[in-house]
Amino acid sequence: MMRELRYRDRDTVIHRLNPVVKLVWGIGLVVLSLLFSHPVYLVALLAVILIMIRLAGIWREWTPVLKLCLWLGVSIIIINALVSYHGDHVLAEAPFTLPVLGQPVITLEAIAYGAVMAVKLTIIISAFTFINLTVHPDDIMSVLLKMKLPYKSVLVTSLSTRFIPCLIDDAQRINDAYRTRGALPSTGNWFSRIKRQAGIIIPLLSSSLDRAIQVAEAMEARAFGTGQNRTYYKNVVLSGFDWLILVCVLLPLVAGILIRVFGYGDYEYFPVLQSIHFEGVPFILLGILLMLLLSVIPLAFIQRRVEFD
Amino acid sequence: MIELRDFTFTYNGAVKPALQDVNLAIEGGEFVLITGPSGGGKSTLCRCFNGLVPHFYGGTVGGKAEVQGMDILRTPPKELAMKVGMVFQDPENQLVTSDVEREIAFGLENLGFPVNLIARRVEEALDTVNIAGLRFRRHHELSGGEKQKVAIASVLALHPDVLVLDEPTSELDPQSAEEVLRLLERLNDELGITVVLVEHRLDRVVHLVDRIIVMNEGGIRTDGRPREVMKNDGLGPGTPPVIRLMQRLREKGLEFDELPLTVKEARLKLQKALGKVNTTRPADEHAAKDPVMNIDRMWFSYGDRTALRDISMTVNRGEFIAVMGRNASGKTTLVKHFNGLLRPGKGRITLDGVDTSRYSVDELSRWIGYVFQNPNDHLFADTVEEEVAFSLKNRGVAPEEIEKSVERMLQRFKLTEYRKSYPRSLSGGEKQRLALASVLVTGPRIIVLDEPTRGMDFALKQELTGFLTDYCRDGNAVVMVTHDVETVAECADRVVLLSEGRVVVDGSRREALSKALLFSPQVNRLAQALSSYGVADTTLTVDEMLGQIT
Repeated sequence: MMRELRYRDRDTVIHRLNPVVKLVWGIGLVVLSLLFSHPVYLVALLAVILIMIRLAGIWREWTPVLKLCLWLGVSIIIINALVSYHGDHVLAEAPFTLPVLGQPVITLEAIAYGAVMAVKLTIIISAFTFINLTVHPDDIMSVLLKMKLPYKSVLVTSLSTRFIPCLIDDAQRINDAYRTRGALPSTGNWFSRIKRQAGIIIPLLSSSLDRAIQVAEAMEARAFGTGQNRTYYKNVVLSGFDWLILVCVLLPLVAGILIRVFGYGDYEYFPVLQSIHFEGVPFILLGILLMLLLSVIPLAFIQRRVEFD
Repeated sequence: MIELRDFTFTYNGAVKPALQDVNLAIEGGEFVLITGPSGGGKSTLCRCFNGLVPHFYGGTVGGKAEVQGMDILRTPPKELAMKVGMVFQDPENQLVTSDVEREIAFGLENLGFPVNLIARRVEEALDTVNIAGLRFRRHHELSGGEKQKVAIASVLALHPDVLVLDEPTSELDPQSAEEVLRLLERLNDELGITVVLVEHRLDRVVHLVDRIIVMNEGGIRTDGRPREVMKNDGLGPGTPPVIRLMQRLREKGLEFDELPLTVKEARLKLQKALGKVNTTRPADEHAAKDPVMNIDRMWFSYGDRTALRDISMTVNRGEFIAVMGRNASGKTTLVKHFNGLLRPGKGRITLDGVDTSRYSVDELSRWIGYVFQNPNDHLFADTVEEEVAFSLKNRGVAPEEIEKSVERMLQRFKLTEYRKSYPRSLSGGEKQRLALASVLVTGPRIIVLDEPTRGMDFALKQELTGFLTDYCRDGNAVVMVTHDVETVAECADRVVLLSEGRVVVDGSRREALSKALLFSPQVNRLAQALSSYGVADTTLTVDEMLGQIT
């Protein structure tokens, strides 16, 4: 799965967008999903990120992420239902009481709350997957540098992501060697198996350290960290049109904050689920928000036309 | 260009100096080959040319070292980086950014070059190394050979006067290695860049270089023009086969003016000098076939990529099999099926007539040992002794039994004196012996090795093949995945050649390696050319050849 989540060049309107635009758009979406707790708003935001993923042609790479989200979502719903005893609609009652917590009950409200949390999580993970799959990692680095983050920290981050696939290969190989030495028998209880599995950690660490030293050496040999003013060969440059799009992708964020300030987009789960009363002003506001969020799509198409002419 | 005077260097915490009283002067424009056994100080010497020793690796320094008149002790690595470019062994671990263009720009950016100059240098470097087609590729889309070329380009962009390469081809397959060496020849020839190359595969380079330096135990043992070094047998047993043949012929009284370095030169010399040829076609004894493992119509795919197609083969007792083929032809995939690390998609594997699909990796590994390419991947325990005992302990063998077996293995693999040492602190050769001991301790009937000779010097290779042939003689089978034609010519009984996941050749080494274009050893290439003089065209080794020329 890690391999599929690596950036690959593609020729879609989304991939052609300026990296700054995609970063701001994606992070904006994450912020919006945290701002709102109304289920309709959240479902709408989920729909928006799905449309973008589809347009960027990364649906296939995203499906394993969806699977992960489903697993996480189901576990969130179950755990939340088991430990949160708020809410008036009791669906089931335990025949005993726990110290401190009281009598365990499963309520409709707790399940609904868990479900909405799961949707939120799916939006956030999908938004980061979207950024990861549509922005060249080196461009992310350039953007971070443009935001005046220190070069060395940014480089360390990008180096560690670059070596994750190597680390996975190392782990696979060492694990194979370990198995062939009879160290991971198919019998035994799960605890002893986990304990045995830990045996690959030392060889794995040691191979990573070797790698780190070699990388450091190669960097030193090419004058890294000489204290001079470093220049940057490839910079992310914003054209006039990019600035226009950037403003447009900032608008939904502003709109979202205003909507919350005026008291819309909120939702009460406890003690009783609020009725999803959704017409008039909240409906119009959500419409505006979605239009602003999706405005990046027509702009991207227009930009491509302009570039071709 | 480079001058060392009585240069001595000791790593922090080391007892013995890594380099001792080295005196060396390298002229501008020279192509210098540094060779010698592992642990002899080659890498340390390379690293002092660009100041990594002592600036990156701390230690105690004695004597003087200068690059273009700059004292390496006083010059910061930044300035040395512009004079001396360094390329390392592992192509993966020297690429820092994530695509080719940025990689080439990295050094220039560090030195604060203006962007328009960087753009020009990147273009130049791409063209010089001839990888302009790869410019937008990301590193994981490149092959090992391409990565190594990118590493060379990224160093060339700094316009160094000297290019130092520490075993740049040891992780590559023969074809990519050849390409990298050609590139170095061209850089030296056309651009006059001084090249210092550390290399084990001498047969591919001796004729390209101006000078050979042999290092051992921290000092320079031999230093001279290739022909002089060969004449005085300066390389010892590591001498390329054709040159070794010619040395022996000269000892036997065959006259020629100068020692040839390549197959072509040897051919021309021998065509003139060859007298009587005693054509005894070299033959191999054929042992009775006694199958231990049988693979029947096996297919395998990774997702939607088919890696093995309809493979059928047999492994016999006492047989040494070499599995050869291009990169990604399915060699490793095939042998991983032997002990169940991979399972066939279609088809069947039987061990002594029993279907192996019923057994786990753990159970199969009692009968089939597997040695991975990097011995480090085998080291899990705290002492050598425990490492050897590891597999036995995991299988619940009785303590007295374990003690006996471990003792036997330590003696056989000359590890007794290190029994209490930490496995990872051993030298490369010792680690390889320990890896073998730890696998052979369970007494497997088949042992599988994945490219064990990659990056090994000649002495280590000989030691390894010695152990393996002994092991075969005891009635066990060896299956070795390898690119190393010369080693196969010396010791394999049978060669299985794969291409695109199919078996293309399965026959004796003589059938597979002689009369082949690419997969033939040096001596056979010579023998093929001399077949009209009566030399058997199935000759594979120096000794076989000597037997025919009287």
